[in-house]
Amino acid sequence: MNRYLPVIKIEVKLYTVLKKFANGKILEDNSIVLPKGSTLQELINFLGIPNNISTIFLVNNTPQCKEYILCRGDKVKIFSFICGG
Amino acid sequence: MNDFSSNFGRQLRISLVDKNIQYEEINEEKLIKFLGGVGYAAKILYEELEKGVNPLSPENKLIFATGPLTSYHVPGGGSIEICFKSPLTNAWGEARCGGDFGPDLKKAGYDYIIIEGKSVKPVYLFINDDEILFKNATHLVGKMVSEKNKIIREELNDNNISIMCIGIAGENLVNMSTIMNEGRAAGRCGAGAVMGSKNLIAIAVKGTNKAKAVNSDAFKNSLKEARNVIRENETAKGFREFGTIGDMAGNDAAGDWPTKNWQSNSWGKGETLFDYYNKNNFVRNHRCYKGCPIGCGRIATVKKGKYKTPEHEGAEYESISAFTAFVLNEDVDVAIYCDYLCNEFGIDTISVGGIIAFTMECYENNLLSQEETDGLNLSWGNSEVLPILVEKISNRDGIGDLLANGVLYAAQKLGKEAEKYAIHCKGLEGPAHDPRSGKLLAVTYGTANRGMCHIHPLEGMAYDRGKVDWGMTSYGVPDPKQIDCWDENGKGKITKILQDGLVVPDILGVCKFFMYAGLTLEHYANLLSSLTGIEYRGEDLLKVGERTINLQRLFNIREGFDIKDDVIPDRVKQRPLFGAYKDEDRCVIQDYNGMLKEYYQARGWDTKTGMPNNEKLKELGLG
Repeated sequence: MNRYLPVIKIEVKLYTVLKKFANGKILEDNSIVLPKGSTLQELINFLGIPNNISTIFLVNNTPQCKEYILCRGDKVKIFSFICGG
Repeated sequence: MNDFSSNFGRQLRISLVDKNIQYEEINEEKLIKFLGGVGYAAKILYEELEKGVNPLSPENKLIFATGPLTSYHVPGGGSIEICFKSPLTNAWGEARCGGDFGPDLKKAGYDYIIIEGKSVKPVYLFINDDEILFKNATHLVGKMVSEKNKIIREELNDNNISIMCIGIAGENLVNMSTIMNEGRAAGRCGAGAVMGSKNLIAIAVKGTNKAKAVNSDAFKNSLKEARNVIRENETAKGFREFGTIGDMAGNDAAGDWPTKNWQSNSWGKGETLFDYYNKNNFVRNHRCYKGCPIGCGRIATVKKGKYKTPEHEGAEYESISAFTAFVLNEDVDVAIYCDYLCNEFGIDTISVGGIIAFTMECYENNLLSQEETDGLNLSWGNSEVLPILVEKISNRDGIGDLLANGVLYAAQKLGKEAEKYAIHCKGLEGPAHDPRSGKLLAVTYGTANRGMCHIHPLEGMAYDRGKVDWGMTSYGVPDPKQIDCWDENGKGKITKILQDGLVVPDILGVCKFFMYAGLTLEHYANLLSSLTGIEYRGEDLLKVGERTINLQRLFNIREGFDIKDDVIPDRVKQRPLFGAYKDEDRCVIQDYNGMLKEYYQARGWDTKTGMPNNEKLKELGLG
């Protein structure tokens, strides 16, 4: 990541089958630093979550789509679909 | 030259009236046309039941159905389907569960057991290959399920038998009672009450036969291929690690978690409740039948306190949702305990949770006084009353007697506004998936032959929300990734194709979850072809699926069901009253009738009556 680009720090929590994608990318305090203007799609690209895994996003506990542009301090939860239950 | 009947093709017809046993060879033409499971059982019940038969009378029949692929060797082959006319809905009734009973019944040499009549005194059956014994069961009446199993095993002096038995709820003819195979429930539509009405308490089975595939090398290769698919499949791994309950937080986030009797499709508590369960109640994963390559089952427990339980099989997503989100209960220990209690009483967790939620809403709106609830405070989230109500319903005690007949009956009895709080389709209480998270589920709920169940409509939820294509894109289903879950256009047609394909596991006698784990109709066709010596393709199985759904539809039509019964509750179509989606207009179902019309057209059914037209029936060999 180019250190001269403006960045934002967000909180990210992954659930169930997605937890493995946190390794080495999400810091111990659940934070991630991304270029300003990043979307949720870019976040999952950064985490290496394949697009064939169905994902649901809550940002600050509100459902959002992949095109959502992240803001500083956003609390992002990413859920996957195992079987629906 | 096929060899269909050398592998299977024998059924037991047991009359409880005179203890008569007939060992029948199955008509091969019927087998080829319907294959087995819910397909073949539909054929038998349609032919042999009189229109309007009382489901709890001796004239109703109870069919224990395996399918051609039911076997310990086939992935998902630990499966049994039980088919009957439902006392809860008066419609087509089926209840399925995983476990050893299905494969053990096959090993005993039978594909089906057809139970007829009613025994004068309580009995249980012991099927030991060709020896069938009627055993006195008077001493089992009033015992919990695990106790019944223990006594039967001691009496037969054999720990290696499989048992299906009813609990106290089945003995009391509770319309939502189950038939249990250890900790697994053939749960829906009141199978337990039908068995109880026949004074049949249990069936124990043991077998020593081995089925042989006609083309054993090809069968082994097909099995190997199927196992490889499952081994590499990420969903299978997720299933194993987290179980069905693993989706609780995600479903809540996705608006797929009916909450407070469906007033909302999300609650915001799923994550906290799942974390609590994971830390405090989860013991280990569990295979419901010997050798299951997934093992999605859970062993759970409440370690201490008022709701302490032994380690037991349970904690399925549906059951825990029914005793948390449905009723606004945040105490997971109570939910785990209620699930355990339901399995011991032999009663359906989904229907019980649904009817308690309905009762709480009636109580809130003064349709039920505290006196009418036997002094119970049925306020939302009052966890203390949940186990009490499970017990009351199972025993038909006090208010439990009203609720034991199901939500539709209770709403009609209470009258006034109660019917708008009754969430069901065709009389079957709704499970823990919400069409406001994906519109396909609305059509699958409305048109499912057994009503608002958690198995057949699964394909709608998983396709729209989970983007699972089920290997069905080669049969005309669009890629789900290209489909907006909230769009309504095209959903009727997709529903038709998915229903035809996804009923196939229930026909073949295997667990549907394996289609989540990557198996397709082609895999099943290969297995079936090598097993039977008859060449099947995926589209042949799809046709058997379509035939089965149409025949079950004809069964319902004969019982008086028509287009007016293909509806879903108004509340389920409307914007949630609270939660993360309360301001989301897209989740509102705008034109349910439009989706339904498209579905009828795709099915070749009359759009005004919902009747299959003559051409369609002729095409399917049902005319």
